[in-house]
This record gives sequence, structure tokens and C-alpha cells, in this order.
Amino acid sequence: MDNRELFKNSDSVNELLARYGVKFGIYKDHVFHEQLFPFDMIPRIIPADEFAYLEKGLKQRVMALNLFIKDIYHEKKIIRDGVVPEEFVFSGSGYLACCDQIMPQKEIYSHISGIDLVQAKDGTWYVLEDNLRIPSGASYPMIARDLCRKCEPQIFRDIHPEDNRNYAKYLRETMDYVNTGGHTVILTPGRYNAAYFEHSYLAEQTGAHLANGHELIVENDHLYFIDYSGKKERVGAVYRRISDDFLDPMTFRENSLIGIPHIFDIYRKGNVAILNAPGNGVADDKGIYYFVPQMIRYYLGEEAILNNAPTYLPYYKNDMKYVLEHFDDLVLKDVAEAGGYGVVFGYKLSKQEKEDFLRMLKEEPRRFIAQEVIDFLDINIMEKGELVPRKADLRAFVLMGKEPVVWKSGLTRFSRNPDSFIVNSSQGGGFKDTWVLSQ
Amino acid sequence: MGIISIEHTDRLFWLGRYSERVYTTLRIFSDQYDSMLDLKEEEYKDFCRKQDIPDIYRSAEDFAQRYCFDEKDANSIFSNLNRAYDNAVVMREEIGSVTLSYIQMAVYAMNKAKQSDAPVYELQHVVDNIVAFWGIVDDSIDDEHVRSMIKLGKRVERIDLYARMHMARKELLREAEKLNRRIGRTGLSYNRKSLAHINYLLEEEKVDYKELVDEVENLMQ
Repeated sequence: MDNRELFKNSDSVNELLARYGVKFGIYKDHVFHEQLFPFDMIPRIIPADEFAYLEKGLKQRVMALNLFIKDIYHEKKIIRDGVVPEEFVFSGSGYLACCDQIMPQKEIYSHISGIDLVQAKDGTWYVLEDNLRIPSGASYPMIARDLCRKCEPQIFRDIHPEDNRNYAKYLRETMDYVNTGGHTVILTPGRYNAAYFEHSYLAEQTGAHLANGHELIVENDHLYFIDYSGKKERVGAVYRRISDDFLDPMTFRENSLIGIPHIFDIYRKGNVAILNAPGNGVADDKGIYYFVPQMIRYYLGEEAILNNAPTYLPYYKNDMKYVLEHFDDLVLKDVAEAGGYGVVFGYKLSKQEKEDFLRMLKEEPRRFIAQEVIDFLDINIMEKGELVPRKADLRAFVLMGKEPVVWKSGLTRFSRNPDSFIVNSSQGGGFKDTWVLSQ
Repeated sequence: MGIISIEHTDRLFWLGRYSERVYTTLRIFSDQYDSMLDLKEEEYKDFCRKQDIPDIYRSAEDFAQRYCFDEKDANSIFSNLNRAYDNAVVMREEIGSVTLSYIQMAVYAMNKAKQSDAPVYELQHVVDNIVAFWGIVDDSIDDEHVRSMIKLGKRVERIDLYARMHMARKELLREAEKLNRRIGRTGLSYNRKSLAHINYLLEEEKVDYKELVDEVENLMQ
């Protein structure tokens, strides 16, 4: 039986996703729009043994990244030993000097990591990006699975993928593990944030309180939630869904209206846990990505299990030479950009655009990385009743509590444009559930 | 109960008010729409006057379209439904995804009705979803304070609307009784003098509707 027959109730699932408001926000011409996140019901299926390999590699990678961040904000041994050049650390936008010598609860810097992977046509998996700041997306496959089970029960009687509805349980355990005593809060910038659905859904599913910055106050070196009667309830853990820049106007951007004044001071004193830890972006810089295999060797004494996509740093003379010689075969990424923005395919540029880009590259070599274009394995999606191949990636989630846990699922994002490699929702991409087979 | 911020109590209260405003105005509008078809073309003017909304409409037909569906008109039913949605969507973790889904579906139904040449039929789906929303509020929100804040908003809005529409005293008394039972269960502070005055005004055979509206609006100040 082909997929069209198996997933005949796809429209019903999309109807339910609309009913439950599974949306993301997007700004067009400075106006906020809520859009449904297009869902394709045919899942990405990963066999158990293949996922076991990914799981091992992901745990290894996130453990090394955590050790790297700890080292950078304390001893800086990896720099002294010449493994990572200091220019790549201290000039990156993710490095925060104010985090120096601060140790977060249980020494965890990246509690929730979203690692983006792609699978090449030969079956090899490559890590494309490490998203350690505030990776989003877990809520979508979680709710989609719940709704698919309602609409296609027979499939789940026949096939037994690992249940992915335990993400909220893992997330709660992760938050509780570092909680310093008191309530757990998910800090949202508010309804007009692109990922607001996720913030509110995760709050509902974990039982945490969803709060804006102005509902929380720092007093006597502790964080409190003010209830409607004026009573103050202590907060011990904040899963913040706002970036470092906006977290505390007394330490970072002073014009931030969505942060909590003085939270950084009490975080420094160990009186509240912040997930993910401020400053952890030092390790998810696209330039730092290049050094992750070296980090794994340095901190863990192991070879990296997962491959990086072949990457070049124009910062290095030899790499710059290679990039200039093979420009048309490479994809170039601005290290400061995210969400699929700042990505340039060499072969797509006109002569003039290429000249302009190369001038910029030579002037600011630290700003870019270059990667070989990986010919992703196409995944079928259903479009107007027909199966069509599209490029897709996988965002795997690793939660770091007492032990690292790799969620047996993930967000598979696909491009709806047949000629595009860009899968981001903000650029029109859709999503699939990811099934990890239980045997 | 869990902890609720003052902003959330406000949201819950207004969710109740706006959902009730949509429900009651739709009910009244449906009756009015019927009589405006071939009987009292100008009846909508009286409706605007009683509701204290500006009569910006060119005709009964214009009123029927814009009062229902013009999202740019702050007094339209669609705008009120959008306000209900605005308050509901930020309350997912308090009221739950299932409860929220009924407001979401009311919005979809309103969009569908906007495209229809027989809007009253389609608007019934909006009403159905609002009624289902109240049912699920009772059934699935365990926290009595959260539940009561929504229901208080509903009661306050209903008395306000009924008073504006000069509804019979009997109807108002019934709603006031429910308001009296509900208000203490919210844990919210309210204007006790206003509540006493509302009860007093309804003891009179001839209700002073204007004073009643003013007092209802003072209740939660």
C-alpha cells in the first residue's frame, strides 16, 4: 500500500491543527500575521539502530559543547592550548563578557539544544547547526502526533513508533533539576513572538507558568511572581524564550521592555536558574561549529561520532583560497544570521552580486563560513494528492538534566519549493513528524 | 489554586465579557435581521442608539454587513470576537488547548459567515461554538477561580447588554442573582457599593436602565 492510501486522513489532521491554533507568527511589512504551520502527514521514519547512532552522537556533541562553554567562561584552556583561536570566541555575538566566572546551576549551560541535521543521499548524517540559545520547534511534532493518532488510529496499531508525547515530561524534569526552589516559569516576550504557540503549549503541557517580564520582580535577591492579590511567590527556574540581549535591561539592552530588571544579578548569585544559560550562544556561533569535532577530541578524548558538513573558514588563508577557487560549488553563511537568512549559494549569484559578495568576504572573513552543498536525501511530501520529493532537515532535541536525554522524535522541516534547500518556517517551509521506530 | 497574575485575571474577565457580547449581540442581531428583511427597515437605528454605538451605516443592508463583519469597526461583532480571541489565546496554559479551540473555531465560523449570502445560517455556528466554549469552561477548568473569573465577565456583560436593551426586569433579576452568587467565588476585589446598588435598582418596579448600566460598569473598578 502506498503512502497516499496510508495517510488518507491528512486533511483531518490539518483541520485539527487549525482548530488547536498550531501557528507561528511572521512579520510582513512590519505587520504581524499568524499562519498555520503547513503539516505533511507522511512522517520521516528513522529505524531504531540508526537513531541509536544519532542518539550517541548527539549526546557526545552536546556534552562537549557544554564543557566548551564552561571552559570559555572559566579557565579558557581550549584557547590557551591553541585548539580554538580566541578571535572566534571573544568577537562572536554569542560571547558575553559579563558571564565570565559565573557557574550556572549543576554546571549546565545548554539545557535544551536543537541540533539541525541533514541526511545525504548516501545515507550519511551531517550536523548543519547547533542551536543552543532558544531552539524552538518541539511542540509541533508533539501535538501533530497526538492528532495523527486520532485521525489514523490503524497506522498506530500496525506500526509502533516511539511515543514522542513525553517531551513535556523531559522538559519538566530538566527545569526541575536546576530549580533553586520555587515555581517554574516560561518567560515569553508575548503573543506577537513568532513562537508564541510553542511557549503557551509547553506551559500548558509542563504545568509551568507562562509569564511576561512585567509579571516577575526581583526583590531581596530572589525572583518573585506577583499574583493578582499582590502576593509574591518565589520562582526558582526560568525557561526564558527571549534572547540574552533582552533578558535584563540593567545588564544588557537598557531599552528592553520584555526582560526582568536585575535577574542577571541573582542568577550570578545562584538564586535562580535560567534555561538556557545566558552567554551559551558562544558555542552556537556558526564559526565555532567548525571546531566542534576538535572540542570533542579535546574534552572527551573521543572522535566525533556525527559528521560536520565539510566547512571552510575564510578566516584561514588556505580556506579562503579554497573558497575563492570553488565559490560556485559552496554555500556561504553569515555567522550572525539565523532562520535561513544570510545564506548564499555561490552558483545562484549574478556576476555583479558575486563581485560584491567577494569584496565583502575579503573585508570581513570572520563573518562567513563556507560549506560544501550537501545533496540532501529528498523526502516525499503530499501535494495536491501527489507524492513529490522535497529537501528536508531534522532538528533533534537534546535535554540536559541529570543525564543528557535525546528526545526520540524531532522536527522535520521541509522546503515547499522544489528548487530550494531552505526549510525554515519563516520562509514558507512546512513540517513533518519524525518517527523513531521502536524496534 | 495556581498563581495568577493581575494581567491574567483581567484577561479571563474580558474573555468572559467579549464572548458574552458576541453571543448576545448575535442573538439579538439574528432577530433584528429577520424583521429588517421586509418589515422594519430602520430598526437598526434604534439598536445603535440603545447600544450606544454610532450609527455610521447607510442602510439596513449596510448595517447587517458592517455591524457583523467589519473588523475595522471596533463595535462590530467580529471585532468583539477578535477581542475574545485576543484574550483567550494568551490564556492557553490557564484554560487549556481544548477550551481555547472553541474560540478559535468561532473565529473560523465567523470568517465563513462573512463570505456567505445567508449569514444568519452560518452565524449559528459561531453561536454554537461560544455555547460549547462555556460548556467546556465548566467541564474542564478545574481551578474555580479561573472558571469564576470568566463567568463573572459573562454575567457582568449580560446585565450590561440587557440593561442597554431595556430588557424586562424579570430577566435582569435572574442575571443579577447569578452575578451575586458568582462574584465572591472569584477571589477578586470588587465594588461592594455598586453591587448593592445594582440589587437595589432591580428591586424597583420601574428600572432605571441608565443608572444600572453605569453601576455595572463601576462594579469592577
